[in-house]
Amino acid sequence: MNVLAMFIGGILPYVAVFVFLGGMIYRFYVWFKTPQPGKMTLFPAPSSTAGSIISEALLFPSLFRSDKVLWIFSWVFHVTLAVVFLGHIRVFTGLIDSILMAMGISGEGINWMSGTFGGAAGIVLLATGISLLIRRLLLKRVREISGVPDFFALLIILAIIITGDLMRFSGTHFDLEQTRVWAQSLLTFSPEVPKSAAFQVHVLLSLLLIMFMPFSKILHFGGFFFTNALIKRR
Amino acid sequence: MKQSAAQISNTPDKKKPVIEKATDENKNKKPAVKAEDVVKEITSIKNGPKALKLYMEMCAKCGTCSTVCPVYYGEDNKKYNPAERSDLIRSIYKKHSTVSGKLLGGIVGARDYKEGELEEWAEHFYSCTGCRRCATYCPFGIDNSVITRKGRSIVDKFGLTPKTMQKIVQISLETCNTDGASPEAFKAAIEFLEEEMNDEHGIDIKIPVDQVGAEYFYVPPSGDVLVNSEATTGVAKVFYVLGMQDKWTMSSKCFDGANYGLFTGNDANMKADNKPYVEEAKRLGCKVLFMGECGHAYRVMKMMMEPGKWWGDLPFKIINCMEFTADKIKAGKLQFDKSKNSQPVTYHDPCNFGRSCNIVEEPRIILEASCQDFREMYPNRGENWCCGGGGGLSAMDDIYDFRMNVSGKKKMDQIRATGAKYVATACSNCKRQLSQLMEYYKEDISVGGVHDMLSRGIIINGKAADRKEY
Repeated sequence: MNVLAMFIGGILPYVAVFVFLGGMIYRFYVWFKTPQPGKMTLFPAPSSTAGSIISEALLFPSLFRSDKVLWIFSWVFHVTLAVVFLGHIRVFTGLIDSILMAMGISGEGINWMSGTFGGAAGIVLLATGISLLIRRLLLKRVREISGVPDFFALLIILAIIITGDLMRFSGTHFDLEQTRVWAQSLLTFSPEVPKSAAFQVHVLLSLLLIMFMPFSKILHFGGFFFTNALIKRR
Repeated sequence: MKQSAAQISNTPDKKKPVIEKATDENKNKKPAVKAEDVVKEITSIKNGPKALKLYMEMCAKCGTCSTVCPVYYGEDNKKYNPAERSDLIRSIYKKHSTVSGKLLGGIVGARDYKEGELEEWAEHFYSCTGCRRCATYCPFGIDNSVITRKGRSIVDKFGLTPKTMQKIVQISLETCNTDGASPEAFKAAIEFLEEEMNDEHGIDIKIPVDQVGAEYFYVPPSGDVLVNSEATTGVAKVFYVLGMQDKWTMSSKCFDGANYGLFTGNDANMKADNKPYVEEAKRLGCKVLFMGECGHAYRVMKMMMEPGKWWGDLPFKIINCMEFTADKIKAGKLQFDKSKNSQPVTYHDPCNFGRSCNIVEEPRIILEASCQDFREMYPNRGENWCCGGGGGLSAMDDIYDFRMNVSGKKKMDQIRATGAKYVATACSNCKRQLSQLMEYYKEDISVGGVHDMLSRGIIINGKAADRKEY
């Protein structure tokens, strides 16, 4: 195993987890304790704050009312992202497979599901991600407020999507067993990193993104709950 | 009849859309702007308020705000893009108050304060009407008006607040009203209104002044006494019909709820402007602080002063006159002759009443009861478009061109689409902006208050007001 691979697959994951958790906990802690003199009122207000935050998080109704085109791209993009995130749990552990098999689904069935839904998700993610990039470039009102961080975030996510799709669709770059061994080995602090280059690039970019999150605008997935709790309540 | 302060202090100069810079006479008062001082103001956001701090850290630059902003609708100029304006402060905050900004700079959208930049901030932050429409639609719940107010507060700290606004705040702090009217002038205006009501109905309808022990203490914007006075006669008639003539009062000292400290971002001024009103309410021993048709005055009292406990617990409650009247209409206690208001009437929701205070059904109940042809304008209520004069802009004639051609454009389209001949609204600033829009675009549409319509249509002793012209 060469040094670079060892760094990407054997050291960086720990650093990333540390930076991500540390960063997020710090941000949440600071937001939580920052004082807010007086409530902010904004109407029409929902009858329940919790209900409105949940519906806002799952369906983006505010965005739906203002920009339907962005809503469809954005909503599909985020939902697919969630699906892909869940799919990755299966990549790292055999546990999901065992549960599915216990429910009477065969190994072949699981692979078919993974290929169909995972494959579709990979394509949808790529398509909506590119649409969001094109939108940012094309619309004057969005382009004029876009800066380096906005393009950087989109491009790194797109690069992760592309390397992910490459692994799935090329058929040669990805080895499920090796990936599970890697995930397991990380837990026992004796990393064994798969050799595929596409895999290593995918992991490297993903870890960079994860570390970048608490310090970038992708933070909106956390801050969202704080702002909505603040403003939508009477 | 008196003019409003804005009319007195500035005549429209249509060729000059830029905000007047502070003149030589008050140059001495103005502290020199040091970059580090501005930066200090911005980094103080670190310690709150929480909302502002969150807004500094989580805009995703999705551009949604620009699609719902009345100013950007009027002209798709980069400087009018809400996210761009808010970034004036946000980028400097990032540079000095976030780890990523300190380490990565431009890569995360951080930049340093540019010498002399603050001079331009006045123009930028006074081209946002603070209508909070962006907050309604932002997927992350970012309220750009909060950032605008912070920007204005920094501008104010260095004496760069536009002259018109400075003057109004000053007059209001000195005289408790934005017109600088004396108690004598007020009393004269009230007598005139009583005479007018006598002409209309042939009976004495009183407007009690300085009555200690009255249950309701009525605080309108001064414009509703001195300029557009029908709203006040409307309120007087409601009390008369209910047999409550001796249960309410006005004050010859505190007759203008307007509070421009909200608009200049100066909290100390806002509180200083507010205090005499609370003291007067206590002195009069009222049980109800009865706010008139003024959105921001009601918001400051009901949504800021009371819950924020600026002056501790209050011995009175705060309601709006439209809530009171709408309740009485629902209870069947007021009757109307709708034929007195036969022209098509629409209602413009002032942002401070709609989005900020949820007073949206009450004015409609009053207008539907008193008018023959009430029409909605779309969208409405909490989603209504700003008149283009919000955030105090309405009083600034140095940006008359901007208000007519940019910020008020959407409103004009909206009103035209209703076909209404009378636009009712419950805000002196909206009224001024809308009247100017009608004049500018040569539309034959009148602008007035909600209780104005009530005043014309309400039946007293079997008949409505007898007047031919308004």
